[in-house]
Amino acid sequence: MVAHVMLGRVKRDTTGSLASLGPADEADLIARCKADDRSSHDELYHRFRRQVAGNLYRVLGDRTDLDDLVQEVFVIAFRGLERFRGDARLSTWLYRICVNVALGKIRTRKRRPAAIGVADLDATSADPSLTERPETPDRALERRQEQDRVYKALELLAPKKRIVLYLHEIEGLDLKEIAYLVDSNPVTVRTRLFYARREFYRIIAGEDPPDKLSTEGGEAGDGGEPVRGDDP
Amino acid sequence: MIGHVAPHRWADLWAGRVGHPERTVMEGHAERCRACARQRQRVTRASDSFATIRTQSSPEVSWDAVRARVHWSVSTQRRAVRRQPRPAYGWLAGALAAGVAVAVISGPASLPGPATEPIARHAVTAPLPAPPPPPALVGLVSRASGDVMVDGVRPADLFARPLTAGSRIATADGRVDIQFGDHSAFALGPRSTIELRRFDARTIELVVDGTLDVTVAPRAEGQRFLVDAGDRVVEVRGTQFRVSHDGSATSVACRHGLVDVSDARGKIQVGAARRVHVANGSPVASEPVVALSSDELTTLVEATPLALPLWDPAALAQSSAPLEIATSGRRDVRVDGVELGLAPLRVRVMPGRHTVEAADSAGRFRRAGWVDVAAEPRGVRLDIPAEPPATGGITERRRQLRAGIDQPRLRRCMRSIAKAGLTGTYVQVELAVDAQGAVGFLNVIDSDLPSATASCVREVLADVRFGRGMAATWRERLDL
Repeated sequence: MVAHVMLGRVKRDTTGSLASLGPADEADLIARCKADDRSSHDELYHRFRRQVAGNLYRVLGDRTDLDDLVQEVFVIAFRGLERFRGDARLSTWLYRICVNVALGKIRTRKRRPAAIGVADLDATSADPSLTERPETPDRALERRQEQDRVYKALELLAPKKRIVLYLHEIEGLDLKEIAYLVDSNPVTVRTRLFYARREFYRIIAGEDPPDKLSTEGGEAGDGGEPVRGDDP
Repeated sequence: MIGHVAPHRWADLWAGRVGHPERTVMEGHAERCRACARQRQRVTRASDSFATIRTQSSPEVSWDAVRARVHWSVSTQRRAVRRQPRPAYGWLAGALAAGVAVAVISGPASLPGPATEPIARHAVTAPLPAPPPPPALVGLVSRASGDVMVDGVRPADLFARPLTAGSRIATADGRVDIQFGDHSAFALGPRSTIELRRFDARTIELVVDGTLDVTVAPRAEGQRFLVDAGDRVVEVRGTQFRVSHDGSATSVACRHGLVDVSDARGKIQVGAARRVHVANGSPVASEPVVALSSDELTTLVEATPLALPLWDPAALAQSSAPLEIATSGRRDVRVDGVELGLAPLRVRVMPGRHTVEAADSAGRFRRAGWVDVAAEPRGVRLDIPAEPPATGGITERRRQLRAGIDQPRLRRCMRSIAKAGLTGTYVQVELAVDAQGAVGFLNVIDSDLPSATASCVREVLADVRFGRGMAATWRERLDL
């Protein structure tokens, strides 16, 4: 049982105000929010709004309807705060809501493919700490094209596979963390991830279109083994 | 000797999840196999971009607007929960008390004797209580333009007046939007009338003559939403659609969702982005349902009735106010970035400061001003001055711009792009220069350059100095 889930992503996050919110402060904030104190709602919103928007933005790859999605996450959070048991950190719990909201959005897009806006990630919004010196325009262009390619490939995956692949490959979460976020068990996540990776990298490598993938046998060197080193 | 390497194994290699012996074999294979080497390169490039994606910072969102909507949404739900009537246990307590009183008054003589089995039981069935009437709905005007009549008069308090069952609304040349629930509203088009024949939580029945645009949230089980158009009935669950009815025909166009159109002889379904046109006297079932053209779809989108994000009629009536936007001609306006259509019009807004923009003759929205609105029934009026006449002197200003560009600096901006072999690029800017030669604004509106290069070009253009002359606003495309 997950006693106190805390995602690697949140552990890494030192840019926002999350790091300054200790477990005791967090519990106090949650208690005040449950008591329907509006200023506490504001505080929670201000603390986590950028994290929520960033999560949604990175999962979806574009900013279409981002306002509405951020709103949806916080509405779900405030309405569900009564049921929040404290099994996980508040940020993790919000991340889980983000994942579910994003999953819903991806499914909607699948139903209405004309509305897809792929890879709108702004090349200028990369973390400046990553680049010690300003990158050249052609490098920026190349980077942006590469991101476009990644998000276009993600669009071709089934929503559940896409989310799992995103959380593992891009966010770097392990199977147990992903299982908590997608409300599944690690074994299912491992299987889903295995097929998602196979499909995704075939698309990236420019191999067969995805509709053929499921019917093919594996190549030599495929191994057929789910992701190594991530067993729960 | 191995066969080709699966692409995801290259990703494993990149992530260090492949042991040394296998790594050697894979790399050896990539040296011999050009296809695998190419795949490895692609996978590696994609994997490299993961780190960049992971560190993308959050884009700016309308934080305050989102916060306000969240607050409204959550507090509206809480109020609704508090308002829910408690189960009526009072009658039970009363009945018990009355029974005890009767027993006490009548004394022991009246107490029943030893229980004896009756000869026959009389089946007594208590009459079922009549079902309570469904709660009545209330509609509030959210936007209005032109003359609007309610029950035969032009009310001065149009935005404060609750619309209930039996209300009749008519429009002249304008339109009126009426919200009656969360994400549920209808808009009556020009020269149209509507009657709210039934307007309660169980059934909404509207009788329309003219054009009616409706957007309704999905109905709860048992709720009905009907639009009567002559002898045709349009029924929906959750959708956006338009009904146009006049003396000669009825047409129904559906933007999304599903609409049933029926008459006495049959029924058809109109799905998303489709329409049906039924001439008077023709049976509905015989008419074909055709796809909407993109223009028709755009018209439907533009006619979407205005619904405020959160619906609480009592709270809205108390805490919102109409904002009247007056323009000298017909101009498209936006309030807080939301397009509202052609002004002059009145729109319901929440108290606070609102930014109003009006479109110029070229269709570009320009800030017309801001207005503070307090929660009072008469609201606030904002007069937008007429658009200044078109400025001359564009040719001269264009010449000055071209002559003033620092070409060596511009070439330095383009150097990396040129080295990468990219040619035929462009930047399109929009700029305004006043009579003193000061640049009012300079915006890059389109470019196929990377953003850093486009910014560099913009800085070069921003340093161009203009002399005195005619004021001008224009768009310039620079092929680089």
